[in-house]
Amino acid sequence: MSTPKRIIHTLAIPVLVAVVLELLCLTQGQNIITNAKSFDNFVVYTAIVMITTMALSINLNSGRFDFSLGSMAALSSVIGAQITYSLMAGQKGSSFVMLIITLIVGVVLGLISGGIYVILRLPPIITSLGVTLIYEGILYTLTSGKYVMKTVQNNSMSAFVSTWVYAFIIITVVLIFMIVVFEKTTFGYDYLALKSGQKVAINTGIKEVKNALICYGICGGLMGIVGFLNAARNTTINGGQLNFGSIAIMFTAFLPMFIGGYIGGYCNEKVGYLLAAVCMSLLNSTFAVFSNQVTASTQSIINAVLLVVFLIYLNNNNLIKRLFRP
Amino acid sequence: MKNRFKKVLSLALAGVMSVSMLAGCGKGDSADGSASKSGKDSVKIGVLVADVSGEEAIGFRNYYEKYIQENYDVTFDYTDALESAEDEKSAIEKFASKGYDAIISLSSSDRAQQIETCEEYGVYYAIASGVLDEEQYETYKGYEHFVGQIGPSNETEFEAGKAMGEHFKSQGVSKVAIYGAFIPNPMHVYRAAGVIAGLGDTYGGTDDMNGMIGQIFGDQAIDLSKIEGDVEVVAYLQGYGDTTTDELNAAIQKAPDAFLSVGMATTFFAQTLSQNDIQFADIDSFTEMNLDSMTNGTLTYLAGKYSSSIGPVFALVMNAVNGNVIRDNDGNAVSLSQGYLVATDVDSFNQYYVTDNGDTPIYDKESLDSIIGDSVTFENIKTLVESK
Repeated sequence: MSTPKRIIHTLAIPVLVAVVLELLCLTQGQNIITNAKSFDNFVVYTAIVMITTMALSINLNSGRFDFSLGSMAALSSVIGAQITYSLMAGQKGSSFVMLIITLIVGVVLGLISGGIYVILRLPPIITSLGVTLIYEGILYTLTSGKYVMKTVQNNSMSAFVSTWVYAFIIITVVLIFMIVVFEKTTFGYDYLALKSGQKVAINTGIKEVKNALICYGICGGLMGIVGFLNAARNTTINGGQLNFGSIAIMFTAFLPMFIGGYIGGYCNEKVGYLLAAVCMSLLNSTFAVFSNQVTASTQSIINAVLLVVFLIYLNNNNLIKRLFRP
Repeated sequence: MKNRFKKVLSLALAGVMSVSMLAGCGKGDSADGSASKSGKDSVKIGVLVADVSGEEAIGFRNYYEKYIQENYDVTFDYTDALESAEDEKSAIEKFASKGYDAIISLSSSDRAQQIETCEEYGVYYAIASGVLDEEQYETYKGYEHFVGQIGPSNETEFEAGKAMGEHFKSQGVSKVAIYGAFIPNPMHVYRAAGVIAGLGDTYGGTDDMNGMIGQIFGDQAIDLSKIEGDVEVVAYLQGYGDTTTDELNAAIQKAPDAFLSVGMATTFFAQTLSQNDIQFADIDSFTEMNLDSMTNGTLTYLAGKYSSSIGPVFALVMNAVNGNVIRDNDGNAVSLSQGYLVATDVDSFNQYYVTDNGDTPIYDKESLDSIIGDSVTFENIKTLVESK
């Protein structure tokens, strides 16, 4: 496919989504992005969705279904918040310290999750369910089931999400990191080989266990960042997420993962996830415009319907093309 | 060796999983550890709570656990956050099975069922910081173990909301956002109806209290299309969950002159609203965090209870446990209403906060001692409650 065609295919969905949603907003006499504040929200939400989508895709694309992403985000952010608060008491710069600590804790939690998987060799869906319960249990114990507020409500945290700049920097750094690690390193080549043909890859000497552990570690780190961003954005962390209550975070990434995967067919896959996250963020901003007409539960239904419709499209892509062929 | 290691690890994992699941199963029953703290003759009171994080809830808890427990031979055991009527029933049953003397309820998913369950198990029961609706009170006022209820009546809740609405209307606001907290919780329904009435608006064509609350109960929310009047309600949100931040951001984008909450906004939204320089109002309590919001943030109106306002309910329960079950003049369970205090600046806030703080609560030991005893009557309790 020629480069101009690739560019057109890559941008088709985001542009189409932006145009349709903008037209919808115009019916209300508004725009998708109404002011500077809504642009800040837009970029922060894009960062959260993009990173969650990448974290989900790392293991899911390798056939490992990981339910524990949400619990990793919540637990790492609570631990990060408590350590940071004990060190800095919410003073200037505490948001950056929390980001670093949460990221590190996320990596550790991811490695523990991966370690359990490679040692037990049970189906990942089973181990991830177990890990989710364990992390949620620890979260509950640490917080007594309460909302964590005091440790995350300070000027440093609110300043972090009151501008689009920091979220934009995070998006850029994560995007570059993911492209380099998964496409320019030995680990990345091994990952792709294992993804394409596990048996053949192992027979060529690729160490699957090491590769899986690194994947889980990266996943954990990414979810640590998500946990931090959610804590800053929500100004609370829900410590009472028991009995798989944390799984919802993961489901926000399904639709962008499929959209990103589709866009990635015409460009870099990670860029595809970014553009898909932009689409989801545009949708989220549109929901804000229609907040008085479209309730939160209706928004969930719309998201689910869009996911199903997109999956139907993906599975019947060729059939649809044939129908419109002269 | 490797297999053995795997087996041991599997068992360890299963063990940890069981522990974490048991932590979940423990919801609604924290009557474990602290029960053992109580001495043989110590009175054991279970406290039902739906909110464990809110400023008001924390203030109440500190009063019981840090002041009352220090000054009386009593042990309070709090539940975790109860999310449903089933949770409440289960918690009461567990308290009863552990031999607790009484239950004080700050949870309102299904108070009728709470009373029925306590009656079934023969445990004294009282409602703090709220009351039953009239119909329910008529049904249960004669129950043997229903000691009574002391808190703002539903009419008081409506008036508190109305006063808030009137205050902001007098300030000249033209568009507001409303947070309905946990509607259809009756307390929040009455407050929200009051706010709308206070703004001078109508809901479904009426500003009559009963007409409004009937519709809100039916809608299970505030339907913005039903609000008419000079002050525009540009956004409405309720509950707290995964979508709340998005809903709050949507409300902020509509640039309201004020954000009026009927509960918990000081807990959930103070930081964000202050950061966006949107003045807000809430019905909550006089706590340190709310003082900070009023001093450094944009909290400009607080209708609150003071933390020790739940003292008289404790006195009622202690009397009942000690054999003096106090009844009103008609021989029914005690029902007394408490009002709200309003602060619109730091000075007025401090007036209530400083006088009800730490070791010197408004309902201190001296005043409670005057209504705890074998000879205490309904009139003694009523006089004291009405004097505060």
